[in-house]
Amino acid sequence: MKIEHKIILSDVFNVALIALIGFFAFQNLNLVLTKLRFVEIADDLNASFLEMRLSEKNYFLYKDEAALSDIKEKIDKTMGSIDVVKKDIIRAVGENDLAQLKSHLERYAAVIEEAGKNKTKDIELELKLRAEGKRLKEFSESITHLERTRVNDIISSSKEVLFYSFWAIFLSAIIVSHFISQKILGSLRKIERLTKSISEGNFHAVERVESRDEIGSVINAIHSMSEELSNREEQIIQSKKLSSLGILTAGVAHELTNPLNNISMIAQTYGDLYDKLSREERIEFMNKVEGETERIKEIVKNLLDFSKPKEVNLNEADINSTVQKALRLMQNTLDISNIGLKLALREGIPHVFIDENQIHQVLVNLITNAVHAMPAGGKLFIATRPGKDKDSVEVTVMDTGKGIPPEFLPHIFDPFFSTKGEGGTGLGLSVSYGIIKNHKGDIRVESKPGVGTTFTIDLPAYTG
Amino acid sequence: MQSYRIMVIDDEKIVGDMAKMSLEQEGYVVETFLNAEPALARLKEQKFDVVVTDYKMKGIDGMEVLRTVKGLYPETKVIMITAFANLDTAIEALRGDVHDFFPKPVKIKELKASIRRALGRQ
Repeated sequence: MKIEHKIILSDVFNVALIALIGFFAFQNLNLVLTKLRFVEIADDLNASFLEMRLSEKNYFLYKDEAALSDIKEKIDKTMGSIDVVKKDIIRAVGENDLAQLKSHLERYAAVIEEAGKNKTKDIELELKLRAEGKRLKEFSESITHLERTRVNDIISSSKEVLFYSFWAIFLSAIIVSHFISQKILGSLRKIERLTKSISEGNFHAVERVESRDEIGSVINAIHSMSEELSNREEQIIQSKKLSSLGILTAGVAHELTNPLNNISMIAQTYGDLYDKLSREERIEFMNKVEGETERIKEIVKNLLDFSKPKEVNLNEADINSTVQKALRLMQNTLDISNIGLKLALREGIPHVFIDENQIHQVLVNLITNAVHAMPAGGKLFIATRPGKDKDSVEVTVMDTGKGIPPEFLPHIFDPFFSTKGEGGTGLGLSVSYGIIKNHKGDIRVESKPGVGTTFTIDLPAYTG
Repeated sequence: MQSYRIMVIDDEKIVGDMAKMSLEQEGYVVETFLNAEPALARLKEQKFDVVVTDYKMKGIDGMEVLRTVKGLYPETKVIMITAFANLDTAIEALRGDVHDFFPKPVKIKELKASIRRALGRQ
């Protein structure tokens, strides 16, 4: 389900809850109004009944015939008004109570009628009249009282219902919005991780997802983008290789031009001045040509062996001092690049058997790479310690840089292989690899994108 | 008749040697230098009619030689030779009032002809 739909659904749920409570409150209010209307009517009735009873008393005390007709008139009037508000009464107390009320009134009317006909003072009749009057009034008062109690009940229950439903809506809104925002934030974090890993060059971290929500679409879009980037990156690496090959070729071409020019000029002069040259001079000319071809041969050899170092001049050396020498050269770069240096150079480790200049070059290469991997600064750790197999010494160069994507790791020692953003020729590590291999040593790399890279070099210990 | 004086500056010794041998055949007085500093010092005490200089050298380069020569002797012609046979170099050199420009490998016959033109001898 789309997040949009989830939000709409939760909104609809809350609105429905509010509408339900509103409807309930409205119903209750209506009921209260009906009841109050009835109570009002009942108060009127009660007042009428009270008047009837007063008249009744007058009749018995003063034998006032007019009182009887007065009561009769009042009964008719009350009957009439009951009929008028019949609906309200039924709605409030039901037909049953209405019928009872009417029958009480009718019976009272009947007794009044009887009293009117008799004209005589009859104790029995008097008691009957009083009893009916009392019953009528009591009944009327009891339902009035009952209705008042009900109104109070309804109001207090409504109050409770409204109070609890307020909290229910409040909690439901908080829970639903929390749930949805958690889901959105979770997805955003996932996307953040993905884009971060892409920015580190790990284009294969993104898998298509089945999810049909907006996040799913975004992840799929990122997937397409990373595929595209991955293709582009291959092109970039390819063109970098070509361009570094171009730089190398241009350099070689320039190097070759001078000896070629020399040979050409010797040949031209030789031809022009042949007759004027002595035998010795001619031989000297040819020796010069030979010398120039040696120069060319050397250039070509260097080109072919660019990844293989020249002859190794092995000597006993203290690796810690070689590291210090390389650092002296790089200290300024480290300071400028805001990189903190931490050294753990073990004292008293065996001396190594190396070409110090070449190992110096390897260390400078590795430190330069570390600097390039930490454009925003970071930490550089360099450590030396005895190797695992006693006959060697181990040097580690560790950075807290952006790391090397796993798929590039197998290629980093290849000539012309360079990862993006370093502006390297792709020769540094391949030359370093050649140097270490020529020392019968070993160079390894471990890297975790976003965490850092560690190069480990094993060098043979000096055995005397 | 007083001979024309020609100076050749190139850090490749063979270039100077070969140029000297070929140009002396033409009757010029030739002095060669492997770098610009002693050459410019020599120029201050002796006027040369043509200076042939390499464009790219360690220390003082061909363009600076051109400026110094023109400062000392505006009528002295400067011929530039270079291993970098690219257009930018040629344009920069010609803009700087250079008489001629030769990419390596240099054809000695062409160099001789250029010097002749520089001296106004056809």
